[in-house]
Amino acid sequence: MGEETTDKIMAYVRRDVMNESLNKGIRFDGRKLEDYREISVQQSVIRTAEGSAVGKIGETQVLVAAKFDVVKPFPDRPKQGVMISNAELLPTASPTFEPGPPNENSIEVARVVDRAIRSAECVDLDSFYIEEDKVLGLFLDVYVLNHAGNYTDAATLAATAALLDAKMPKIEDGKIVRGEYEGNLNLTALPVTTTMIKVGNHWLIDPSQDEECVAETELTIGTTEKHVCAMQKGRGAVGKEELLDCIDMAFKKGNDLRTILKR
Amino acid sequence: MGGSKNTKLVIDGKRVDGRTTDELRDIKIVTGVIPAADGSAFIEWGGNKILCGVYGPRECIPRHGASPYKATLKCRYMMSPFSSLEEHGRSGPSRRSTELSKVIREAFENVIILERFPNAQIEIYLDVLQADGGTRTASLTAATVALANAGIPMRDMVAAVAVGKADDILVLDLDKGEDNLGQSDMPVAMSMRDKKLLLIQMDGLLTREEIAEMLDMVENGCNKINTIQVDALRKHYENNGEDNFTW
Amino acid sequence: MEKKIVLPGEKIGDGMIRAHNTYFDGTATYAAVIGTINEEGRYIALETPYKPLVGDTVVGVVTDARHAGYSVDIRLPEEGFVPTRTIKVSLQLGDFVLCKIKSVNEVGDIDLGEVRRLPPGKIVSFPASKIPRLIGRKSSMIELLKEHSGGDIIVGNNVYVWISKGSDIPLMIETINMIKKKAHKSGLTDEISKFLQKVK
Repeated sequence: MGEETTDKIMAYVRRDVMNESLNKGIRFDGRKLEDYREISVQQSVIRTAEGSAVGKIGETQVLVAAKFDVVKPFPDRPKQGVMISNAELLPTASPTFEPGPPNENSIEVARVVDRAIRSAECVDLDSFYIEEDKVLGLFLDVYVLNHAGNYTDAATLAATAALLDAKMPKIEDGKIVRGEYEGNLNLTALPVTTTMIKVGNHWLIDPSQDEECVAETELTIGTTEKHVCAMQKGRGAVGKEELLDCIDMAFKKGNDLRTILKR
Repeated sequence: MGGSKNTKLVIDGKRVDGRTTDELRDIKIVTGVIPAADGSAFIEWGGNKILCGVYGPRECIPRHGASPYKATLKCRYMMSPFSSLEEHGRSGPSRRSTELSKVIREAFENVIILERFPNAQIEIYLDVLQADGGTRTASLTAATVALANAGIPMRDMVAAVAVGKADDILVLDLDKGEDNLGQSDMPVAMSMRDKKLLLIQMDGLLTREEIAEMLDMVENGCNKINTIQVDALRKHYENNGEDNFTW
Repeated sequence: MEKKIVLPGEKIGDGMIRAHNTYFDGTATYAAVIGTINEEGRYIALETPYKPLVGDTVVGVVTDARHAGYSVDIRLPEEGFVPTRTIKVSLQLGDFVLCKIKSVNEVGDIDLGEVRRLPPGKIVSFPASKIPRLIGRKSSMIELLKEHSGGDIIVGNNVYVWISKGSDIPLMIETINMIKKKAHKSGLTDEISKFLQKVK
């Protein structure tokens, strides 16, 4: 009985109760096991950033702002621009988010989103070079606005959408002329992540908050059209064949997400 | 404050954005936008975009911060690093955001009936997503709506606006340019029923007469702002929460 | 259905009027919370945290088991407390329980009694101000749900609703969400009845 206890915060259901429903192929919110909730993206939300988007999956909403500044390059890569990602789990977004410095969850989501985008090599950091000791720094801020489960996928979706939305700032005399732009940031790939969890014997795509609480295994897989660009396992363990099946599912679902981005 | 003698902020009674001296910028408020929160509101005021989430009454954490007589009110005002058109800022609190969190909390301590929830806490979270001058007064305005949405008992509604002086002329609702280059800035929050001042700060130099006139301008401005708050709440409850909201 | 919305700080009447979620300043009574005036001219709050009253039946979850007793989450700032000596069964962390509020003191401590352990199931929360709609006139709505659930449902006076294992949980959650969304509509019981018949 001890292992079956619920997470105090949200789920208020036991795995065996949820499994009864999952065995019939239906989740508590009526979805099939491999369905995403309704997905939408809204771009150009924050005018003070060069690019921005809100990614919505079900009721989960994440804002990502992409903003440029002139910065010093890293010493080992003096001709390359810099990309820095940060995430905030706003206390507004969930009764479980506490105010304070970034905790392991906000740090993890920032790093996973960053990894997916960086590995996909979809942003040409070499084109960010300005002059000696000056490059463009691209700051990605991930703000979780409402948490209803799976903010990771909403975050990556919003990040890629923000990059699609982003305009390059005008540069004059080594400085950014704010409010003036020169073309778009060209994205050469569309990385997205697909998060899935295992409850009993069932893998569920796009977990709701309930489901996250009773998950035994958590897995996020980032994909571009043809490649895996990020993987992150949370709780639990996964078998080798199982992982390959999850990757197949991530490509399938990832392409659905990419279709939404292309619109 | 202080600023260039060359920049004219008010010419022939018209300001840089075309407003008259006692005109408010466009204000839009939507409530109930964050389902997870007990109450929420999103305000667009000129170029400001601010999100407010309210939680409570709920368990006071840490326990030793609880009062057996009333709920503990907590308020956190933060500016996002992408909220300024200029540089990308740092994440986390600054001295300014700490001060603003305090004065906003102290405004609401007057109207929230804290005695009804001993040992509990009520939290107000304000995140400035886009800043354009007057963020603290816009935050207060949004927070009142979010508190009402959360069903937190209040004695009154609170509206807030900043009034100031630019080019020796008194102006209502300073935008970023007027705030930076003007001579004086006075943000004020007012309770709507008994017209008490719940937040008042100022910088610059003002005479007593100027302040008296500015307070009248504030009262007129707050009346208009309160109408917008009331409309936002009415609309939400009449549509039973089916507002087609986009950011 | 035209609603007159009443806002915090709005006057309800002169003198002291006894109504929840109002306050009296010595001269007149004002609304403290957003509400509405019903057909009988009475002020009713639209949003309100649950206010525990002695005698209320509540659904909760055991969150702590100590020597002296159990802490039960009933969705209030203070957890309810069940002294060990008052119950015969032993409870475990995560158990769902149905109990009655025995006492509430001035600092909000809540003692619970008549504790009954509920079988496994799922607990959902429902806005306190809309609970009467979930129960329905003469329990018509909740009986309708129970009939179609295939199991059992218990609605606490607090915001927790317990649905039993063995019920069609996805259908019950969908129906409860519908009621939450349409709580303001008249004829809702008929509408829900039609919906549940169609699904059969």
